[in-house]
Amino acid sequence: MKKLLGLALGVLTAIGGFVDIGDLVTNAVVGSRFGLSLVWVVLVGVVGICLFANMSGRVAAASGRATFEVIRERLGARAGLANLGASFIINLMTVTAELGGIALALQLASSVQYLLWIPVAVVAVWIVIWRVRFAIMENVAGLLGLCLVVFAVALFLLKPDWANLAGQALAPAVPGSETGAGYWYYAVALFGAAMTPYEVFFFSSGAVEEGWSVKDLGQARSNVLVGFPLGGLLSVSIAACAAVVLLPAGVAVTSLSQVVLPVAEGGGKLALAFVIVGILAATFGAALETTLSSGYTLAQFFGWSWGKFRRPVQAARFHLSMILCLVVGVGVLATGVDPVLVTEYSVVFSAIALPLTYLPVLIVANDPQYMGHHVNKRPVNVLAMIYLVIILAASVAAIPLMIITGAGS
Amino acid sequence: MNPDGPLSPHPPVAGRVLDAQLHLLDRQVLDADGVPVTTADDIEIDGLEAGVPIPPGAPAPSLTALLTGPVLGTRIFGGRPPSSRLIRILWKDVADVGIVISLGVRGGSLDADWVERWVRDKIIARIPGGRHDPR
Amino acid sequence: MILGDVLGTPVHDGDGNRLGRVADARFVIDGAPGQLMAGARLFGLVVSPHSAASFLGYERTGLTQPWPLARILRWRHRGSFLVQWHDIAMIGPDSVALRADFTRYDPALPKRAGGG
Repeated sequence: MKKLLGLALGVLTAIGGFVDIGDLVTNAVVGSRFGLSLVWVVLVGVVGICLFANMSGRVAAASGRATFEVIRERLGARAGLANLGASFIINLMTVTAELGGIALALQLASSVQYLLWIPVAVVAVWIVIWRVRFAIMENVAGLLGLCLVVFAVALFLLKPDWANLAGQALAPAVPGSETGAGYWYYAVALFGAAMTPYEVFFFSSGAVEEGWSVKDLGQARSNVLVGFPLGGLLSVSIAACAAVVLLPAGVAVTSLSQVVLPVAEGGGKLALAFVIVGILAATFGAALETTLSSGYTLAQFFGWSWGKFRRPVQAARFHLSMILCLVVGVGVLATGVDPVLVTEYSVVFSAIALPLTYLPVLIVANDPQYMGHHVNKRPVNVLAMIYLVIILAASVAAIPLMIITGAGS
Repeated sequence: MNPDGPLSPHPPVAGRVLDAQLHLLDRQVLDADGVPVTTADDIEIDGLEAGVPIPPGAPAPSLTALLTGPVLGTRIFGGRPPSSRLIRILWKDVADVGIVISLGVRGGSLDADWVERWVRDKIIARIPGGRHDPR
Repeated sequence: MILGDVLGTPVHDGDGNRLGRVADARFVIDGAPGQLMAGARLFGLVVSPHSAASFLGYERTGLTQPWPLARILRWRHRGSFLVQWHDIAMIGPDSVALRADFTRYDPALPKRAGGG
């Protein structure tokens, strides 16, 4: 049991990265418009984030330095500040969206107005960050988030045409109703969603929170190899459910209730209850992950004392900055902006900011001063360089595709 | 002078070599207890005046302090804060330089820590539960 | 004097020809012994003809992995050299002037270099 709980960091990181509110909706949109023809992108993204998170986790375990400290040290002040600016804004947008997502999930469960749930959401998130131990937080949010596996269960209960689904996935083609540009826009969006930098900021800082050292390198690897593929599987299940139920009916996904429709159809009220608990846990977990990442990135760039393992008075600027982020998030939500729209943009911007986050980690993972003799092995470096090219390609293509397709509409 | 010829081998040195940009700048500075204090944003050297020709045989300037705080903004964008406003971590307080810069003193006694202390005393300590030990 | 003012400024030789930019400043810990570490004296400046941004340090450390990156970054810093303190004529507000008979040294870090 202890061993299973030891995987909670990887599971929570993956949940916050793969099935947060933005991804829940994006995966359903992709399934309802493209079927399973974009599943290969999720696979590429899962391998990429496993590689990236494993390197950053190993660096954190071997040297005690979390990712943004490494970014500042390798890129220097100017490029590091540019990276901080971009990452921080993306994080803030995601925090805003996740707080909205929690409120949306609560609205789905209770039929009480969404705006009324926002103060509840932000206070709950803050109390957990202020007071709850890191280990408890990751175990509870991670475990409850796994309720989302009900999407996979519902998929089986819907008795789909498996051959058809497999055909869509293994022989990808742009559906007749969509354009090539639209297809590639969503490919970049799914890739950016799988490899969002805040997953790496959270995972490496979490490694330091947990006190991982050189003898925990195996545990770091297990966390990565269990958590992220699980996240990818959940993503694909959501898309598959939408492909089976929403695609034939031509239903456009615009809200959370359409995302859960296939589950209700396949598994009835019990499944619906599970999926609501899962969505609530996943968005709550994502809110924690992104708020903490905002604090981690600022503190690590400026050299502040940080960490939930310290008393708040010993990490004062760290906690103050997170409180301010939450306040800004609530302020933005109070203007009535659609939280889901916010994440759709932030995911694409993540793809643009990714190269400058990836490169320093790759360099340091090869530096014996940091890693001792745990530097990257040759095959890992080869794979890492291939992914550097993919990441650069996605980064360059993101904005033009966004403009051409009008953000996928 | 050997403009295009091979470079002369590095002269022998009697102590450890540290390059400012490679080993010192942008590194985390931890105090004697391992608690982060700040990052090293710039470096102050003594015994050198800008724009003044150096007489032959003049002794080499020495590194007197690591700088932090507003000097980060001026290092990136240009300009210079007045000398009295610079937040210094004196070189004599540095115990070791590795992946991070370790000090031999505690953060509480340093100028560089004052913003943290201020935020702690004025804001965080006033919120209930601020002193709660999370372990 | 603040080092940030010197890093990145152009370097000229005795005749006013531009040689490159200041990429880094090298210190040696061989000064007066203190309670913790001995004093650090300025040993010299690393000059790079092509790029002052030496943020990844490949040209001076022995790092060779991942090799495509190492090759690219070493190529960007080709021609870098070290000048010693006694070869520097003036460190001005916007540039550095070297003495007429300065010697170029290999900028690679000697064995006892660096932290850790």
